[in-house]
Order: sequence, then C-alpha cells, then structure tokens
Amino acid sequence: MKSRPTLRPFFGLAFALGLLLAGCSRTDAPATAGAEPAPAAGARRVAVVISTLNNPWFVVLAETARDHAKQLGYEATIFDSQNDPAKESAHFDNVISSGYKAVLFNCTDAKGSIANVRRAKAAGIPVLCMDREIEANDAAVSQVLSDNYSGCVALGQYFVEQVGETGKYIELLGLVADTNTWNRSKGFHSVVDRYPGLKMVAQQSADFDRTKALEVLETLLQAHPDINAVFCGNDAMAMGAYQALLAAGKADKVKVFGFDGADDVVKAVAEGKITATVMQFPKTMARTAAENADKYLKGERNFPQRTPVAVELVTRSNVSKFGDYGRKP
Amino acid sequence: MSAPSSSVSTPARAPRPWAAFALAALGLGLLGVYPPFRVVSKRAAGGSRDPAGATVSTAPAAMFAPAAFAETLWTTQLLPAAERAPDVGPILDALRRNPAAALQTHARRVGLGNAAYYFARGTGRITAVERGRVLVELGGATVAVRTGPVFGNALRDGCGLLDVNQVPGLAEFNALSAELNRLVEQRVQPGLQAATVGATLAFAGAAEAPEALPASGPVLTFIPVRAEVKP
Repeated sequence: MKSRPTLRPFFGLAFALGLLLAGCSRTDAPATAGAEPAPAAGARRVAVVISTLNNPWFVVLAETARDHAKQLGYEATIFDSQNDPAKESAHFDNVISSGYKAVLFNCTDAKGSIANVRRAKAAGIPVLCMDREIEANDAAVSQVLSDNYSGCVALGQYFVEQVGETGKYIELLGLVADTNTWNRSKGFHSVVDRYPGLKMVAQQSADFDRTKALEVLETLLQAHPDINAVFCGNDAMAMGAYQALLAAGKADKVKVFGFDGADDVVKAVAEGKITATVMQFPKTMARTAAENADKYLKGERNFPQRTPVAVELVTRSNVSKFGDYGRKP
Repeated sequence: MSAPSSSVSTPARAPRPWAAFALAALGLGLLGVYPPFRVVSKRAAGGSRDPAGATVSTAPAAMFAPAAFAETLWTTQLLPAAERAPDVGPILDALRRNPAAALQTHARRVGLGNAAYYFARGTGRITAVERGRVLVELGGATVAVRTGPVFGNALRDGCGLLDVNQVPGLAEFNALSAELNRLVEQRVQPGLQAATVGATLAFAGAAEAPEALPASGPVLTFIPVRAEVKP
C-alpha cells in the first residue's frame, strides 16, 4: 500500500515561522501599540518626574511644576525617582503605558537618562527638562537649566574676598553622576585655583545629602582641624557641614559656602551662620517648563533646545532681597 | 507504544526534491514579507523624528574646540563689534536717571534671569590705578576697566554675538566664556600696564548692568575687548 506523503515537515516549518512571526513587530508601529487604551483622564495628563524628593529644593521644583500644569488645565502627577536611574526608568515605562501627554523631567543622570527621554519621544510624548541637563540635543523638546558653573564663578570670587588669598579649605561634592556637581565644582575652581595660596586639603562627595555631609565633614575635621572654609555643592550639604562645625566648636571660625538658595540656608546667611549661597530659581524653571509643555501640546514647535536661567549670589549684604526660593516680590 | 505504521509498512521512498524546494521557497517568501528582525540605525530608532512630526536637528555634536571658537569669534566678530559699540555716555546718563529703565533700554540678556550686561565704548581720564582695575572718569561718572584676572560671563553674554544653542551644551558655553576671558588677559590687559593717573584711556568692552546705582565706587566695571592708553 502506498502511503500518503507526510505533511509533518511542512507543519513543523509553518509552526516555527508562526513562532517567529508572533515575536515580531514592525519598527514603525507606535511604541504604545498593544498597550491598553489610555484612560479618559489621560487626554490631559502631565507627569512630573523628579530626581529626588528627599531635598526641599526639589520638592519646590516638583510641586511648582505640578501646580502650574494644573493651572494650565492638566492633571499632573509627581513621580519620585529617589536618585535611582532604575526607578526613573520604571516611571517612564509607567508614563508611556498610561497615556501621559508630556513629561516635565528632572533627570538622575545626564547620560543615563537620555534613553528614557528617547523612549518617551518615540512614543510621541514630549519631554521637557528642568534644572538638570541631559547630554543630548535631539531628545528633549527643551531644557530650562540653571547656569551652575556661572553661579559658582560668582561664589568663587566671593569666597576669595571673604577667606582671603591664603588658607585651607574642604570641598564637599554632590552626586558624582550629576553634571551639576561638576559644573559647580569647575566654576568654583576656575576662580579659586588662580590663587595658589588657597589650598584644598580634601575633596569628597556627600551626595547632596545633609546627614552624609555632617558625617563626612566630622571625619575630615579629624585630619584637617585647621581649615578656614568649606565649599559645599548644595545647601543641604552646607547645613550638614555647619552642624559638624558647630559640634566641633568651629562654627565661628570656618566659613561655609552653599549653593541652591534653600530657605533654611537663606535664613542662615541672614544670621551669619552660612557665609553665602547661590540662589537658583526652581519656580522659574518649573513654570517655564510647564508653559513650554502646554505650548508644545497646542502645536508650537519652535523652542530653543537650552535656556539658561541665571543664578544670583546671596550674601549677608543682599539677603533681604531673597526668600521662598527666589527673589522677594 | 507502537511505532507509527508508516515507518513499518512504507517502503523506502524516492526523494522528492520539488517538495523541498517548494517549502524552502515558501519559507523564504514568508521571511521576506515578515522578517523576524530588522536592523535599524540607532538614530532612526532613537527618535530622529519629533513626536508630532516636526524636524529636529540630529546631527551629532561635532567636537567643540572652545579655544578655536573663541579665537575666530574674537578676530572676525568681537573686535569689529567693539569698533562700532555705542558710546557709554548715554548709558551713564540713563543709569543716573533710572537704572531699571536703562537696563531695559540698553542692556543685553542671555536666557532667563536678572543678569544683564552693557556693551559700550568710551574715552576718559584715568583717576586711579588699583589692584586689578583702573578707574576712569568720563562725563561726570566713574567707571572701572578690569586689569586683573577676568571671571564671569560679562563678555560672552554682553557682546550680543552668542547664544547657548550655538554650542553643544552649557559646559561648552561656559568653556567658551573662560576662553574669551583668557584672550582679554592675554591680548588686552598687557596694554593696560602702562596706565598712569592722568593718562587718557580709550576702551570698549562689556560690563554687568547694576540694578541700582552703587553707593560708592565705579558705576560700571568693563571687561575690555580693546584698550589704548594715551599719555
């Protein structure tokens, strides 16, 4: 008996091809294809993705962005990345799949966060950076940025005026992955390093964290008890440094310099506890980013990639002009 | 478990090459229509396309050389701009009347914020030679011209020739500022070493705009692009 030719090889090949095709998608399909439809409220939702809320300055940035987006008619939600790029990435997954219309973004990593911005962009969601720069010119719609370097150039000049052209100092750096850490440090050193009598005896990161700054400076003071000044990359660290100096009985001998313009440090400048800080303008940046997002969603496309926001030196002589994270009205 | 009957009862079959060719052709055809993967450039995948279809620049940032950029700018644009800069006299008059109004009328800004700068030229008599600066009296006011280390962005932001988006990023923009300051120190300030009280100084440059007239001292401090001391 002649048997029929077997079809098993064909079915095997067809099955294999089926498996392959099931795993494929066209690259020009929307990245959100296959996702559940966005909820109705998503039509007017804006995400505010912030590097950390463990610092009052960033809370002001986030809440101002959220509140201004609400004033412009959007629902706005704050996502706290807790200075963790993995959490930030998960927030973008959520934002993309949930149908948000725009992201007001304060990144955790100038380089590492670019991929998140690109993913949102590929999904049709504009990203507008606030305060912290991402090192790409074709990913975000716009970047409204503090000019940290220039602020620390001014701070460095005042440092030389106050400390003098000879002395020893310690520098507390912020997060080493953050470009602002280095922009501030470089701006400061572009001035202070011109005075060879000013010696930096230690430079260490305290991650922009008040408690860590206290601990780091307590340790460094053991090795360098004769310093004249501490330059801190932000105000939270300046307050931690001041606490360490207070505990060591050196608060009236060592000058502390911060950066941010946080309310508690502005008050400390007025009281003579902190020598100077630099006022950034988080509310200006947050409002501008929210307004740009609104304009973008209404069709405008002509945005400068970067808009620097000038910062201002705050000293005891002009401190009365400042407060509430900006200039007093 | 019994073996399949076909393996027992079917005699050895002659190979059928047409069937294998047909299956292979079908498979290749399907793969052509539905490729299992696609190779795309990172740029295409990463979003050279604006979400709403607007075109954005995706050209990779060329290696930025701040010294070369500053050198070219200095020679081809900054020096000619200094030659045709407005006279400082009307600015000083406006400052005396109303500093806020003078700022609106005569000053330049880059980005957002309160920092603003004047770019002007003037000629006056040197009244003092101090560490890092000389004081010049002109039109009933005193201004300073910097002779010592130059810091800050007065020249970059005051000259009206530069925008942050002309360079790859803020770091590069600040590096450019430092280079312009270096050129001032190397090319202009050595000529000011001859400054003496009573001599005449012709200068052009940028100065930070004050919000209010200072209680004492010079009204403006110029970072000079050009300076000439005449006995």
